[in-house]
Amino acid sequence: MKGLLLKDWYMMQKYCRSYLLVAAAFIAVSLFGNGNMFFVFYPCLLCGLIPVNLLNYDEQSRWMQYSAALPCTKTQIVSTKYLIGLLAQVTMLIIIGAAQGIKMTAAGHFVFGEYAVLLLLVLIVATFTSSISLPFIFKLGVEKGRIAYSVMVGFACGASLMASDYFKGQFTAEIRPNLLLAVLAAAGVGIYILSWYLSVVFYKKREIQ
Amino acid sequence: MNALEIRNLTKTYPGFTLDNLNLTLPSGCIMGLIGENGAGKSTTIKLILDMVHKDSGSISILGKDNGENIELTKEDIGVVMDEVGIPSCLTVRQVGNVMKHLFQNWDEAEYARLVQVLALPDQKQFKEFSRGMKMKLGIAIALSHHAKLLILDEATSGLDPVVRDEVVQMLSDFTRDENHSILISSHIVSDLEKLCDYIAFLHKGKLLLCEEKDQLLAEYGLIHCTAEELQSLPSDAVKYKKENAYGAQAMVLREYVPANIHISPISIEELFVFMVKEAK
Repeated sequence: MKGLLLKDWYMMQKYCRSYLLVAAAFIAVSLFGNGNMFFVFYPCLLCGLIPVNLLNYDEQSRWMQYSAALPCTKTQIVSTKYLIGLLAQVTMLIIIGAAQGIKMTAAGHFVFGEYAVLLLLVLIVATFTSSISLPFIFKLGVEKGRIAYSVMVGFACGASLMASDYFKGQFTAEIRPNLLLAVLAAAGVGIYILSWYLSVVFYKKREIQ
Repeated sequence: MNALEIRNLTKTYPGFTLDNLNLTLPSGCIMGLIGENGAGKSTTIKLILDMVHKDSGSISILGKDNGENIELTKEDIGVVMDEVGIPSCLTVRQVGNVMKHLFQNWDEAEYARLVQVLALPDQKQFKEFSRGMKMKLGIAIALSHHAKLLILDEATSGLDPVVRDEVVQMLSDFTRDENHSILISSHIVSDLEKLCDYIAFLHKGKLLLCEEKDQLLAEYGLIHCTAEELQSLPSDAVKYKKENAYGAQAMVLREYVPANIHISPISIEELFVFMVKEAK
C-alpha cells in the first residue's frame, strides 16, 4: 500500500498544484469577504475531488489494468484513494481552521464552540460528498461517477449553507458540544466507512477490462 | 511443477465465449499463445491474473490456485501488457521507488542495471517515451523482482524490428534459468517461432491445438503439387489444401504422405493460417 500511496503522491504533485492556488484564493475571499460560508467550505470540497481526479488519470494511463497485475489487493487500491482524500481534506481543514481562527480572533469574537462546530461541519460536508461519489466511481468508472459527484457537490453546498444559517442562531451564547453535532460527526464517520466498504465490494466485483 | 495449468476454463461475453480451454505450461518453458485479434488471448491472460472472473474451470499458477491469495502469487509473476499502464507523469526513477514498495523481492540494483542496459532516460516522464521505450520499461519492471513466470500480452506488437529483437533476446536470457517460464501472446507469429517451446493456437475462443513447437514442425509439412497429385494423396494426410490454376498447395501430416513425395518444412505462421482456415 505504501507503493500505491507514493504513486498517488507523485501524481498529486504533478496534477493537483492548481488546487492549492484555487484553495488559497477561496481562503483569502473567506477571510476578507462578507462571510459567505461557501468560500470556507469549497477548498475542502475541492480536496474531495483529488481521489476522483487521480482515478481519472489512473483510467487514462491504464493503471487500473496494470495494478491488477501487481501484488496489491483491490482493497488496498480502494483504501489508498480514501486515505489520500482524507489526508488532503484534513490538511486543508487545518489551513482553513488556522485562517478562520485568526479571522475570529482579529474580529474579537473567537468562540471555541462556534469555531469547532464550523470546522466539524466543513469536514463532514467535505467527506460526505466524496463518500457519495467514490462508490459510484469504483462501480461505474470515473465519467459516470463524476456526474454523481457534481450533483452531490451542488447538494452539499446548498445543505451546508442551510446548516450554517441554522446553527448561527444557536451559538450566540457559550457553546457546548450538543447531541446533534455528535450525531452529525458519528454519521460523517459512519458514512465514510460505509462508503469505503461499498467501494471495496463494488471494485472487487468489477471486471478490469 | 507446472508454471501454469488451465483446466476447462470458460468465460462468456455477449458475442464471445472462451470455450473450455485447457493449457499446461511446464516450468522452464516458453509458450506462445497465437491467435488473430479477438481470438481470446487477452481474455485468457486476464482470467489468469483474475482481472476478470471465470464462469467455470480452474487456473493454477506456480502450483497455487489463482483464486486464493493471488496477490502473493503475483510476487512471482512479471506482467507486460500491450499497453504498459504506468501513470504518464512518472519518471523511471519514481517508477522504481513505487515498485520497491509494492514488490517484496524488488531488486533495485537489477532495475538500475536494466534501465542502463535498455538506455531508458532516468528523468523523462513516461508520457514522453516512445512505444518501444514504454515496452522496455515494462519489461525492466517485470524482470526486476525475481519473477518465476513472465506473462506478456502482445508485448512485441507495434515495436520496430530492432527493439523486438532486443526484447526477444531478453526473454531468451530470462529462460536460461530452468525455473523461469514465459507465457507470451501475440499475433506476430514470427517472434513466437523464434522463442517458444510450446505453441497454442486460439481461434474464436477455442483452442485449436497446443503442442511442442518442434513436434508440430516434425508432424506437419507443406507440399506443392498438381491437382492430380493432390487427389492421389491419402485423405488422412491432407489437413488443408489450396488450389489454383497453377497447381495446389497443401498442409499435410507427414506420416501419411508417401515417401516419394517431397515435403517442404512448414513455418508456424503457415501452420496457424492453414489451421484457422480449416477451422472456418
